[in-house]
Amino acid sequence: MGVYIGGVAAVSIQEPLSEEGIFRPVAYSSPQVRCIEPEFRKFLEPMVARRMSKIVKRAIVASSVALEEAGIPMPDAIVSGTGLGCVEDTEKFLDAMVRNGEHCLQPTFFIQSTHNTISSQIAIRLGCHGYNNTHVHRGISFESALQETMLLFGKGSIHSALVGGYDELTPPYFRLLGRIGYWREEVKNSLHIVQEPAAGTFAGEGSVAFALSENAQGAWAQIEGVSISYACPDFTREAGLFLHRLGLNWKDVDVVMTGKNGDLENDRVYRNLSLPAGQTTAVYKPLCGEFFTAPAYGMYAAAVCLKQGMLPASLAEDGKEIKGIRRILLLNHWQEKDYSFILLSSCGD
Amino acid sequence: MEELIVKLKNEIIDVLNLEGMAPEDIADDAPLFGEGLGLDSIDALELIVLMEKNYGIKLKDPNEGKAIFRSVKTMADYIEKNRKF
Repeated sequence: MGVYIGGVAAVSIQEPLSEEGIFRPVAYSSPQVRCIEPEFRKFLEPMVARRMSKIVKRAIVASSVALEEAGIPMPDAIVSGTGLGCVEDTEKFLDAMVRNGEHCLQPTFFIQSTHNTISSQIAIRLGCHGYNNTHVHRGISFESALQETMLLFGKGSIHSALVGGYDELTPPYFRLLGRIGYWREEVKNSLHIVQEPAAGTFAGEGSVAFALSENAQGAWAQIEGVSISYACPDFTREAGLFLHRLGLNWKDVDVVMTGKNGDLENDRVYRNLSLPAGQTTAVYKPLCGEFFTAPAYGMYAAAVCLKQGMLPASLAEDGKEIKGIRRILLLNHWQEKDYSFILLSSCGD
Repeated sequence: MEELIVKLKNEIIDVLNLEGMAPEDIADDAPLFGEGLGLDSIDALELIVLMEKNYGIKLKDPNEGKAIFRSVKTMADYIEKNRKF
């Protein structure tokens, strides 16, 4: 039994609900970039949408598009990952608490101030009574959601699932992280951020949804494995062991797609990897920016590549397009603590 | 009173996030709940908070709510008579 990506959709800093942003990405010259919103009215009636925070609207739109593409009207499970949840409404609620002396607090902001509201709001929208969970584990939130989903498939508890990574980065949170040196003061061209390493990176945000099933027909890619490691003294060895557990080795991997973001400290971990000579490498964070669930965008980019059977110049670290790719290994870490490994392969012949 | 009704409509649109709706889209006498605007119990809570925050009115008797929140006009009437600021 394999687990396949039947449908994908992303709302990010690139063109929403389109693969255009992977092949012809927009470049930014700001340390913080917010999502380009889709036309919510096409998907949600105004009276329904009014009580949804922006991140929930993005999640519901991405989920609907992914499920429709996969031909899955009702998934057996909805499992989401988010680093911050509906932080914008959380901020509004806390701000009102301070300003109004804990009086006159608006119930809508309170309802949406809980992290796990995302999966449940998607379920309410779909009328889905299946398994429902939201993982909130900072930089490995999405990978945790994906890992749990793979376990559910493995146990035979589910035969389809909606998995996603959703995060918004508000200006106050951007400022807070900036105080501890997360962001660059100046970004000339976001697409060149890895090629011009310095202290800090640029902030993005995004909502990426995947409709998964056991049906390989017409699928974007197969998810061969996912693994998470809190500590990882030897990243290369750990990645090799991950491949070994799947009955593979480095020569089976066409592309290693890393979470490089241009920050000197963050990228040191990837520079220290001892990859086989001539190994093709790719990066996705110049396209989506850094945020807790950015690896979901990485998996989206990898799925697009495998569907097309090529690595576009926009993702290739050396800027050279490669055709005929069949397997992509995604590596990421968060603050040199949470390491993740995801392996995707092509479904084509 | 006319001025208060327009102000109240704007506040309702803002607090209930009625995107794309203008004050003129809400009739003064149209029911707020049920067949009119179609508001629900969470909206009722939002309106109670609005009255307290913007006009200093605390609703003590829940039975009063049904009559007060029947329409924008009934709300404005009640605010006019009971506002603290």
